[in-house]
Parts: sequence; C-alpha cells; structure tokens
Amino acid sequence: MSKYLKVKDSAEKFAVVQFGVCPFRWDPLRLSFIAHPHNFYIFPRQEVPTDSSSCEFLCQTTSMDFLAKYHFDFNACIRQGVSYLSRWQEDEALRHLNLRYEDELSEQARDVPLFSITDILFSERMKNRLREWRDGLLKDTSGGSQLEGSFLNDSNQQFQNIFYKMRPALSLNGFTSHQLRLIQSVTKKHFKDLAFVRVEGESSCSQQLVVYTDSESDRDLLKKEVMGDYRRQAEVKIKAAIGFRHVIDLLSSEKKLIIGHNCFLDLAHVHSKFLGPLPFEAEEFVHSVNKCFPYIIDTKILLNTNNILKQRMKKSKTSLSSAFLSLCPQIAFASNESCNLTFSSSVKVEVQLDDTRSSSWISGVKHEAGYDAFMTGCIFAQACNLLGIDFKLYSPSENLACNERLQKHANLLYLSWINGDIIDLSTGHRTVESLRCRDLKNWQTGILFENIVLIWGFPSDLKTAVIKDRISKVFGPTSVTSVCRLDETAVFVQFSKSKLVADFLLVKETLDRSNDAFSVLHPLSTILEGGNTCAASYETYKDICSSPLSKVLFADQAQAVGIRWKTKLVERKEEVEIEEQDHFREENAANTISFYMEQN
Amino acid sequence: MVAVSPLLQRRLLSTGVTKTHHKPHRQWSIKQVKKSNFADTLEDIKSHVSTSDFVAVSLQNTGFYAAPWQRVSPFDIADTAYLKAKYAAERFQVLHFAVCPFTVRASKVTAYPYNFHLFPRAELKMEMPSYSFYCQTSSLISMARQGFDFNSCINDGISYLSREQESAAKIQIGNPMLAKNVTKSTSIHSIADSVFIERIKSHIKNWKKTCKETSTRKEDALVRSLRKLVLGNEEYDSRPSMNIDVCSEHQAQLVVEMLQEFADDVVPLIIPAKGGATQAVRVVLTSSKEDKDLLQGKLQNDEQELMKKIRGFREVIDLISASQKPVVTHGSLNDLTFIHSKFIAPLPPTVDEFMCSLRLAFPLVIDVNNLMKEISPMRKVTNIPVAISQLKNRFFTPIDMEIPCQAMENEDTIHGQNVVKICELFAKLCSILKINPAAVQSDEEKQASALEAYANIFSPFCTASEEPINGDVKIWANNTRTVSCEDLVFLWGFGDRVTAGMLKSLLQESHEAFSKEFDVRLVDNSCAIVIFWQCGLSETFLNTMNKCSDMRGPLREMVSEGLRAAGYETYNRACRLGLWESRLADSLDRALADPDSASKADSKTKSSDICNEWIINLDDL
Repeated sequence: MSKYLKVKDSAEKFAVVQFGVCPFRWDPLRLSFIAHPHNFYIFPRQEVPTDSSSCEFLCQTTSMDFLAKYHFDFNACIRQGVSYLSRWQEDEALRHLNLRYEDELSEQARDVPLFSITDILFSERMKNRLREWRDGLLKDTSGGSQLEGSFLNDSNQQFQNIFYKMRPALSLNGFTSHQLRLIQSVTKKHFKDLAFVRVEGESSCSQQLVVYTDSESDRDLLKKEVMGDYRRQAEVKIKAAIGFRHVIDLLSSEKKLIIGHNCFLDLAHVHSKFLGPLPFEAEEFVHSVNKCFPYIIDTKILLNTNNILKQRMKKSKTSLSSAFLSLCPQIAFASNESCNLTFSSSVKVEVQLDDTRSSSWISGVKHEAGYDAFMTGCIFAQACNLLGIDFKLYSPSENLACNERLQKHANLLYLSWINGDIIDLSTGHRTVESLRCRDLKNWQTGILFENIVLIWGFPSDLKTAVIKDRISKVFGPTSVTSVCRLDETAVFVQFSKSKLVADFLLVKETLDRSNDAFSVLHPLSTILEGGNTCAASYETYKDICSSPLSKVLFADQAQAVGIRWKTKLVERKEEVEIEEQDHFREENAANTISFYMEQN
Repeated sequence: MVAVSPLLQRRLLSTGVTKTHHKPHRQWSIKQVKKSNFADTLEDIKSHVSTSDFVAVSLQNTGFYAAPWQRVSPFDIADTAYLKAKYAAERFQVLHFAVCPFTVRASKVTAYPYNFHLFPRAELKMEMPSYSFYCQTSSLISMARQGFDFNSCINDGISYLSREQESAAKIQIGNPMLAKNVTKSTSIHSIADSVFIERIKSHIKNWKKTCKETSTRKEDALVRSLRKLVLGNEEYDSRPSMNIDVCSEHQAQLVVEMLQEFADDVVPLIIPAKGGATQAVRVVLTSSKEDKDLLQGKLQNDEQELMKKIRGFREVIDLISASQKPVVTHGSLNDLTFIHSKFIAPLPPTVDEFMCSLRLAFPLVIDVNNLMKEISPMRKVTNIPVAISQLKNRFFTPIDMEIPCQAMENEDTIHGQNVVKICELFAKLCSILKINPAAVQSDEEKQASALEAYANIFSPFCTASEEPINGDVKIWANNTRTVSCEDLVFLWGFGDRVTAGMLKSLLQESHEAFSKEFDVRLVDNSCAIVIFWQCGLSETFLNTMNKCSDMRGPLREMVSEGLRAAGYETYNRACRLGLWESRLADSLDRALADPDSASKADSKTKSSDICNEWIINLDDL
C-alpha cells in the first residue's frame, strides 16, 4: 500500500499548472479522426476562502528548470491561469455559508453588554438620534412637511438618508465596528419598527443601514430578504470560483472513454485538485475515481500487456514520446504523400485548431500538456487500428471501452511501472504483470527484492566487476545474478537465491570480527578493506531512503540516518515478498496532465 | 434620494480602478539585475555601498506563513516569534531581493536601488542552494500583480550559495587547495611523528634531487616513465609534483610544517577527501622563486574565480556585511531570518543564537516599523505607502529623493519600488524624530546612539521605549495593554462556529476564575486565548480543567464535548518542536501528547520534503 501513499503524498504537495485535454472525433466522411487539442493553464487562486492546506504547494527547483527549458510560460500561468475549486471545497464553502447564514439569523438576539460610561453615553445619544429620525419620518407621512430635519446637518455626514428596498433608511458611515455594534443593539432594544441591516456593498466592503419598517412582520420580512440577498451573492461567488473544474465535470458527466499514458499519478492529482482530499486507502481512491470516470484506458498498459501490440513495439521504449514516434511516425514527422504509402495501414488524424485543419500539428511543443494529450490519443487510435478495430463500424453512442479487444485492458493502471504492479480501477484488485522482460540498465532479470544485499562504505575505487568476482569466488560462479551500482559508495548485489543473502551477511559478520591471517586472505577482504564496509538487506535500503535527511552519497546518507552497525543479519525467509522500487514518472511542482477524450 | 444601483456603482468604480491601477504616484527607475548583467553590476554596487551611509533591503518571498496561526502575533514572545519566522524562512524562497544603498543629507536622500532576481539553481548538482521550496498562491499572485516577471526570474535569476553551503561545496568539488601557512607549532613531536617527518623529508629531498637532475639530463622515454612510476611522480600544471598520502589531519599538518624548509621552490597543496578531511598533500616543484609566486597567484586566482561563480548573489550580501553599514528594513525579523538562512547558514534553534550569529554579519539592523512606533498616530500603520501618505498629512517633512541611476529605458519599473519607499520613509521618520542620520558615519557618539536605540529590535510588536519585560506580551496589535504570558490560557476543542464573544459569555457563567476581568481572542478558527487580567487565575482555571471537578454549567458540557486547555508553555513547546499543523488545535494536541519527545521531533522537523525517492528522472518523461 505504501506505493499509493507515496503517490498521494506527491499529489497533495505539488500543484498542477497545466492540463491538457484533447477530444478526438471520428469523422465518417473523411475516414479520419479529428483532434481538438486544448492546453489549459490552471492556478489555484483562492477566490473563495478554503482550507489553508490548499493554498500552498511545493516547487522543486529541478522541475522548474525543466519546465523553463521547454518554454513553459510561468507568467501566463500565475497571472492568467484558470482557477478552480474541487467538489469537496465547493461543498465546504457552501456549508460554511449555510452556517454563517444560520448564525446571522440567530445572532440578532444577542445583546452587547455596556461596559464603559462612554458606551452608555454613545448608546443614549444614538437612541435619541434614531428616535428623532423615526419621528420625523412619521410626521412626514402624516403631515406632509419636508423630510430631513436639522438632524442631518450636525452629524458630519455620518447619517445619510437613502431608500432601501422601497423603505426609508439611514446609511451609517464612519463608525467603528464597536460603535456599530452598539447602534445595532440600541436599534434592537428600543425600536420595534427599525431594522439594522448589513448590506454587502461593492468591492467587498459592507455597508450598515438602519431601515424603517411598517411593522414587526415587515421587519422580519426585510431581514429575511437581506439575508437571502447576501446568501445569493455568496453563492454566485462560489459558483464562479469553480472555474476549470467545469471541464472535469464535463469529462465525468459525458462518461466518454478517457485515455491517459501511465496516468495513475495524474488521476491522483485530478482527485486531489478537483474531487476532494485523497483517501488513505488505495481501494477507496480507486472506487472514487471509477465513479467519476467509469472508462479509462492507459496506453502504457495497452502497449505492454497486449500481445499484438507488444510484437509491434518490438521491445522499444514505451515512454510517451518514443511510443508516439514508433507508432505514429506519419503524424510525428508531418510526412508528405509519398511517405504515406509506407504507413498506409495507419489511422489518419487531423488536428483542428480554431477553424483550421491540418494533417499534423507542427506547433505542438514537447512536454506541453495539450501536445502530450494529443500524442496519447494518436497512440491509442493507432493501437486500436493495429488490434483490428474498425472505426467505420462504430456508432457514436457505442463506447470503445466495451469492445471485446479492449475490454480486458480497460480500467487497468500501473500502480508502479517498474515492477509491473497493476491495479484494476473497477475492482481495486492488484496483480503483478507476468512474464516481464524489460531492460533496466543492469538488471537483466526480474528483481527479487529478498535476494538483494546492499553493500556500502567500501573503498571508493573498488570496481563493480571486482565485487562480483570476489563474491562469486566465495559463493559459487552462479551465485550472483547481477551487481548494480547505486553510486561510488554503494552497490546492490542480487543473488540467485534468497538464502545466499543471509549467508553472505553471516560470512561478512564473521570476517569483520575475526582479525587473523585467514581473514586477510579471504576473497571478500578486498571489499571489506578499510573497515567501513557495511551490508544489509533491501529492507534497510528503504529505511535509509525514507529518512528525511538527504545526502549526496549513499554512504553519507546511511551515516546521517544513524546507522552504526556494520552488518544486519536477516532470517531466511521462504515466502516471496515483492517490494517496490521507486521510479515513477513524475513531473513535480508543475504537473502537466494529459487526457484524451473519445468522441466517437 | 435613491441609492445608485449597486451594479452601476460597481461599473463606475471599476473603470476608475483600471485607470489608476498600475500607476503609483511616482515611479523611479530601478536597475533590474539578472544573471546576464550580474557581473557588470557587482562593481557598481560595490562602490555605491562603500560611499553610502545606509543600505536598505527588501525581499519578496514565495510565502509568509503556512497557516493563520503561524504568522507572528502580538502575543508571541521573542522565542515563538523567531521560531515562526524561522519556519517560514526555511519553507519559502526569496525570488526578489532589492538592495538600495542610500545617504541622507539634510532633506535630501541619494539612493541607488537595485532589483536582484534570484532563483536557486542546482548548478552544482548537489541539491544546493535548495532542493525544493514551498509557494503560497496568494504571495505569487500579489507578486504577479506588482508586475513581477516569473519567466525571467526562473530563466535568468541569479543563483547563490550560503556561506555554509559554499564551504561544503568546496569540499565536494575536491579541487586541490593551497595549504595555509602554518605557524610552527611549539609542541614537541612524538617519536612516531618525528620518524614520519624524517621519512617524508628524505623522500622529498630525494625526489627534488632527481627532478633537478632529470630536467638537465636527456633520457630515454622508457627510463623516464619508469622513474615516474617508481617515484610516484606526476605533473601538475606542467611542473613536477608528487602526492604524499596522509592518514590524518595531524599528519597533513606535519607535512605542511616540514615543507616550510623547502619554501623556496616547493608549493604544498591540500587534496581534500570526500567528507572534508585531507586525503593527501601534493607537493609541486617550481623552477624558481618567481615561478613559485606565479603558481601560487594562479591557484589563488582560479579558486577565487570558481568561488565567485558559486557564490552568485551572496557576493552582494558579503559586500553589505563587509561594509558594516547599518541595514534598514521594513519587517526585520522576517527579512533577516530569510537572509540568514539563505545566505549565511541554517537558522539556529534559539533566538539568542540567531541574534549573535546575525550581529557578526550585520551589526546594525534598523526596522522602520520601530521608528514609526515612536510617533503615536503611526503606531498601527504597517503598510509603507499608507505610512508615507499619513506622515505627509500630519507633518511637514519634505524629502527630496534623488536617484542618479541607471535603469534602461525599456525596463518595466512597476515592481520593486518598495525599497526606495523604505529609504524615503526612513528619512522622513528621522527628520520627525530629530535624529540626524548622517551622524551614523561620523563619530558623534550621542547622535549615533540615538539611532542605535532603535536598532536590532526583532520583535515586531514591541518598541524601543517600552522594552519588553520578560514574558510580557500584548494581545492585540493596536492595544498597548500587556499581560504576562503566565496569565494566558489556550482553549481548543470547541466547534468551528464559536465566536470570541460567544466563548466569553459561555465562560463567564461557568467558573469563579471568570468572575474577574478577562478577555477571549480567537487565534484561528480552532483555538482561542483566554486572557486573565488578574494574576494567578489562569492557574486556578487550568487546575480545574485538569481535575474536572467543581465545573459547572456550560463549561462542564464543553469539556465533555472535547474542550481542552493548556498554558503558554504548551504553545511554546509546539513551536519549539516544530509541530506546525495547519490548525493550532492539532499542534497543541500533539504538543500535549508527547511532551518528552523534544529531541525526536526536532530531527523530524518536517524536512521530509527532501527525500531521495522524489528525485525525478527527467530523461524518462
């Protein structure tokens, strides 16, 4: 489960700054796909106050540099990026609004105790003023004489006669909030026909009014009306803040097939930014994603698990850009007619930008989210073509994900690409990809973590081949499967059997302790030279790496973590336990997400 | 009389705003410095700093505080205020650093403003100056509004290393360094040492001899290479050299000491090992005294060039520090913690250590806020433009700003005016307070001390005249009433709908401790402070909370629903242990939960952001 938690942690800390969406539509007349790539700059703008955790994000200097290298426009993103609220944030904001609304209604009853003599004098004066004004109004309605007595002139424009909702009102200016509270309390206590209301004015400054009402029921009516107004305004503001999430809602409500490329982390970002906080359990997360996007196909899974496609890819790399180059060269190279003959079997894709169509998209920039989405879509279209899916036979209402040839790949995602850990979004089940043969630099065979010994702190000029040689001398020529250098201070040694791990550690421990002539002649003494060599199982590697400290050299890191022992013996374990190695594709701080929407 | 319809009013207002928005009353041209023109600017600013009386600085960061309660409040004592500033300085990043050397003569201010754009670039691939940092969206947006150009900052920002990072980098680069001249130690060597010295000495004599001989003699190439092999000869900078391996720092010292005998033509170089110790001493033989000086000069020069490149913007900080000129800031605690952590060394754990360390670099730091607090109507003002306009309305202090610089015509000058305003405000305040700023340079003791009285005060809420009595804090920024922090109680665990007033009226009827005068202030929506204006009552109340007995009325009910209380010490501990949860209530809960885990939590202080596993392999994308 730790794999999911790592993804969760990363998705929570980093921000998404660019979101690519590229709907593809099959045009039955032209017998080609029409792609509509979109590249959204998004930036959380806090238009509605939300929880504080969402208002900051982590930046990695390296990924900022990376984005800058590909001409990412930070100014456009920060100044004009579309803001958004997640569904959860919207609900929270509305809930707070409701609470506040209730509070405001109930608060009317509360009374401000008068502490100081100035408060009492002020209240008394205000009482007289308001009475004077009210009496003036009444006299006016009965007698018909001119409104506005001398009362207004001596008050520094603190009171201003206006009309509010068809009723005469006094607007209060230049009072402190404490004074306003006193006026409110005076109004409540002494005047049955006056109402104190707060109106949300322009540019978010509120205005206080004392409004004359005909009766008590009229007063209650007015108050309700004011509250209603207030609430509606706030609701409009919250609705306006949803921003980019409308796109996500659209993708979700249309229930179209979503295509991504190795998109587990992308989905985690989508969940945390647009749906709500990520749950602690992977199952819960998967369920929630599945509810929102019922049909997802990951092209990385497709290319690596489908036998026909695996043959076509011929073990070439399945990263997004290399898969695009090998599957859709006619789009990638914007080839002309003559070349098209070679790729006659391929699906045609036209790009529609604004009102112009072209057979390729030259202006696309590598690592721009919209372009990534476009490439993902092209790969998928081509893959379907290779699988023998005939788009001509498809009606727009039919969903491709239900096609018998794609069905078994639908809703599967790589939880971890490195060790082929696959999760099924519709069930939450996890499986391990079988028969994986992939080149991982020095790791020719599958990694069995329990067969690994970590050695560090040996003389830094010791060559990898020497290490392998010396260990083979002790444990037999077939004992060591491979040796992988971490850095100049540490190596991983993979044994053919997990038993050898324990054996090796035991031998090393013995050699460390004994100091006789024999131990000097022992083949392993080359590795142990210097007396600082440490060894442990893979578990320890995880412990050391998970420490918050960070040193450049592994040996330093181990020391910083506080490892003082030199050999950590392990018990022999029989059951196979697969651990993960961390290597997920991540473009932190600024995550560009690409999606592809099928519009058949 | 009918009120203008809100919509119409808004429209009128908004057109008004757009017209005046990006046009401050005055605009000064300010030189924008980036990576491309940094080297050229350095000489200018050097001379300007040396001829000016003061240096004003102003920073723009990617954030200020992660949660509402983590911003420095009036109720913070110096310790907690520092810890909060420290947390922010470690978490966020400086993107823009304005420096303005200036001189005040009578009513004339001569200022030389510079805007430096910074970006921590991993040029050395050593995760220095910083691996990652946090951004607060609101800070970025307000910077964007002021016209800050993020693209040019990230593409062309100047990188830097702190002093401590520089020394670490030196070791990691592993270039040979000139051995510093050691004074002959008087201690008597042990026998082993003497044997070692003698052995090396004869070895060197031998080597020198052969070197001299071979250089004159014509030799077969094979013989020469054999000789090289036997003697361990190498070439360094086309001069013969030899490495002497050493096992300890002490031995390296001995070798260097011994080599002074050969000082005429032998140059010793220290070859550092990974981790900072000495791996070997390299001996380079020069042909003459002149040649030796030449080599030494070249080595020194090379090292300086390299270090200059590594130091980047810190060169400017060193320059200001070396000049020992008073530094004028607005919000000194915030700015100086950033400067210390980014350019000097990681921030020490306590405020006292910080002050000591800082004083070494900047002996005199003046915060204009502290000057402002002396003028009673200005106490509450913290915004610079507001302060300037208010001073203009109340006092007649014409200040003539002269900026003889230097910006290019087409540079956007909307942003970065702040530092010039600080200069202006400082001059105005000095003239109102009858302080002669020019006296700082001269030796007029009395005048200089007048300004020094306002210097080096880092708590944002106390002033020079009312020196904080130990442990006394204010509660509200605009209220001068102080209270001992002993008399403060933190309350949390009530719902998020409770206001301070409601809480107060609930408490009033529930315990005799509340029969005397007290107040309630919300810190954030999860936690409140109760202020007992009478001594000793806080203790009574806390005891009651712990015992759960003789509680009555609403308090009893609230406690059963999860109300908790703790004294100031718990709050202090939460800050000290770095329990920076986004809600203060959670932090206090944690601080109460593990009171003994001081050391454990310290090491964990949230630096977990830096983790090996996160290193992205950009080639895979």
